[in-house]
Amino acid sequence: MTLPNYYLADLPPEAEMSPALVTDACLALKRNRTQYLAIRDTPSILRTLVRTAEDWLEADYPYRKLALAQGPAHTGFSEPTIATGLDNFFRQLTGENLEALLVQELGTTQRLDAFCASTSDSRTRRTALATGPELVGHITAGCVPNGAFMAIVLGLLTRSAQFIKCARGGAFLPRVFLHSLYGSEPKLGACIEMAEWPGGSAALEEALFAQCDCVTAAGSDQAVEAVRRALPPRVRFAGYGHKVSFGYVTREALTGWRAKKIVTAAATDVIAWDQLGCLSPHVFYVEDNTAGLALQFAGQLAAELERREAAEPRGKISTETAAHIAARRAIYDVRAAHAPEQTRHWCSPDSTAWTVVYESEPRFAVSCANRFIYVKPVLDVAEALRGADPVRDHTSTVGLAAQEHEMEGLVKQFARWGATRLCPVGQMQNPPLTWRHDGRPLMADLVRWTDWEP
Amino acid sequence: MTNPSKFEDHSRRLLAFIERGSGLDETEFSASATELFALQFAHVAPYRRLCEARRVTPDSLPGWRQIPAMPTTAFKELELTSLAPAERTAVFHSSGTTGHLPSRHFHNARSLAVYEASLLSWFERHIAPAALVGRDSVEPHMERSAASISGAVTLSQESRFVRTSSVGSWGSKESRPAILCLAPPPEQAPHSSLVHMFAAVSREFGSQASRFLATVAPDNSWSLDFAAALAALRHAEQAAQPPVLLGTAFMFVHLLDALAQDGLSITLPPGSRVMETGGYKGRSREVPKAELHALLTSRLSIPRTHLVCEYGMSELSSQAYDRVAGSPTILSPLSSLFSFPPWARAVVISPETGREVAEGETGLLRIFDLANVRSVMAIQTEDLAVRRGEGFELLGRASHSESRGCSLLA
Repeated sequence: MTLPNYYLADLPPEAEMSPALVTDACLALKRNRTQYLAIRDTPSILRTLVRTAEDWLEADYPYRKLALAQGPAHTGFSEPTIATGLDNFFRQLTGENLEALLVQELGTTQRLDAFCASTSDSRTRRTALATGPELVGHITAGCVPNGAFMAIVLGLLTRSAQFIKCARGGAFLPRVFLHSLYGSEPKLGACIEMAEWPGGSAALEEALFAQCDCVTAAGSDQAVEAVRRALPPRVRFAGYGHKVSFGYVTREALTGWRAKKIVTAAATDVIAWDQLGCLSPHVFYVEDNTAGLALQFAGQLAAELERREAAEPRGKISTETAAHIAARRAIYDVRAAHAPEQTRHWCSPDSTAWTVVYESEPRFAVSCANRFIYVKPVLDVAEALRGADPVRDHTSTVGLAAQEHEMEGLVKQFARWGATRLCPVGQMQNPPLTWRHDGRPLMADLVRWTDWEP
Repeated sequence: MTNPSKFEDHSRRLLAFIERGSGLDETEFSASATELFALQFAHVAPYRRLCEARRVTPDSLPGWRQIPAMPTTAFKELELTSLAPAERTAVFHSSGTTGHLPSRHFHNARSLAVYEASLLSWFERHIAPAALVGRDSVEPHMERSAASISGAVTLSQESRFVRTSSVGSWGSKESRPAILCLAPPPEQAPHSSLVHMFAAVSREFGSQASRFLATVAPDNSWSLDFAAALAALRHAEQAAQPPVLLGTAFMFVHLLDALAQDGLSITLPPGSRVMETGGYKGRSREVPKAELHALLTSRLSIPRTHLVCEYGMSELSSQAYDRVAGSPTILSPLSSLFSFPPWARAVVISPETGREVAEGETGLLRIFDLANVRSVMAIQTEDLAVRRGEGFELLGRASHSESRGCSLLA
């Protein structure tokens, strides 16, 4: 199977993008939206999304097969990594979850179709209708496709035409998803455009922003800020800057019967999308006093990563990235030789496939990703939070492994500190569909409300 | 107290090698390297700990290529020297970004003498004006370079390295060039190994008109004295005396930007040359090498053949150059082939496997520098290079900022 040249992102890399091309595409999207998308109701959109998701979970679905066959070359991820990532996403994309999402964001599932009232609206004898923007521009970042997938889902729910600008090298999986939508409903597919160009291409982005009434952007803080500055004042904006995540494992959890499962779950978080997502852990903080629990955890995690490498190999990385890992390892090699009680490290033999660094220093360390994980012993949550203070404003998810009776105390401390998502270790890179991205509502930035006070 | 007599023996032998100018064959290099390794293993405690952790000791060393390399970053954290604190008379710092610990390379008078002998000798071979040393002396090096590229390296190390002249005999006093250093003088930058090098070559090879053309600003950055630079360049132009310009890439950018701002060009006389080294680290706008070189040619009339790139660092005592001034382009205008002197060898290591890469492949540069007597001889850099024959093509520092994911902080 080959993908037809339907989207701008399908064009060969040497094809020259021009502002005029972007403008034409946007105008066509708006026309198509009026004709095909604006007239659709929520149940029919949900049916399309759910059917497509179900297709993606079938082993012989041609688009899935294409994504798995060509994905490694395009994305650098191994086939099992892509398969797991796709399964995790599309399993979430059910009718039940989509309806839950609409209720969470808009109060009822019919908000986008008719004036209706939520419970609180009824109390104030009011009804309201939500309307999506005519054209949303999405600036996505990195190579983990979930952001682009979710953007497409939200845009379809709000019946908006969409222009998705992917980061260099990040377009492949979203592109295949888009073709799968086009395959089942060409008219819907005709309301979405996708292109790939280097971020900060001012002329192209200016042409795009001039046509949008809403723009979302993910990426580094600087890139997001640059987009915000480039927008005309009338355009609504939702920016998602860079985030980091970490895990927290309690003493009780590690001494309980689930200890082995926690190690497996931690490895799952490191392996998912090769640790390249904002929700991937950089560090596991492990409660420890003098029992050596953290050191033991680090060793077990290394063994688990080694075991999993056979069936779920890390993807291919550039020589530069490998050099970065090698250089980082070399530092810990020296430190481990110098002060073995403070630093230990475990490295995949003859490759950079995985690395575990045990470091007694509790200060948060930004991993070089690609399955390079830190394990740090801490006395308690307070010490972990002091260590993570430098990334306090950048923290997304904290993965937790604790006994049930410890949870309530823990989650409050992390929430007050500033984490926006708390989940079990093992689920860090697998948020629910209703996940409030970076602690913010998902659709509030997209829709415009019309209140009716009869 | 360290064992100075054995280090002294090594230094003396190395100085004799350098003085002799006939290079080292594999046996000599290997013997010297393993001997120095044993000394450093015994007398540089943090290095010994690394070797022991890797289970490499002088008794178990299979060959010099297996000598454990110390990452450059370790020079920031550890005192990697066999010199006791009281013996240290100088320390060179890496020019890291502000707020970060610099690398430290400690010296005493004797190790500085070795550093100077090493740098002077190889500098002279690559930067010396051909008119003064004669064409014949240049050719063996060119032949080596050409042979390396074709993959047919037939000349032995011995025959490749032919000394042109002894240190300090570069022409008569009158015919010496002005060496114009786009750097602050040593008294302002006592911890810069590069400035120390510039001072040494100015002293050895430069005329009275040689000078340092920058100052150290309060924030420790280097600030070009453009008026002085312009005057020196104008003087060279009018007197038809070709100068030698030494500087880092970012200082050349400052000079070129200042010239461009005033719409000035200088027609430096034939034989003028440039030695350019180092990166930018945010201290000027970044200019691709080809563009920098094109600007040097257009603004200063220095042809590409007389633009020599140097590769060095504070953790080393020897440097690599990518051409002999005046020799034709080696690889292509965009990349060039660097080579160290015979007493320092570069190998390119696969970051994945830690083993040497095959010819033409990319990896991390590791240098074995016999002139690093009192610190550690085997240095693991973070620079990416392509293995090409006996030399290497430099690709630059492994980027820490680019990531395929979105999860890296700046």
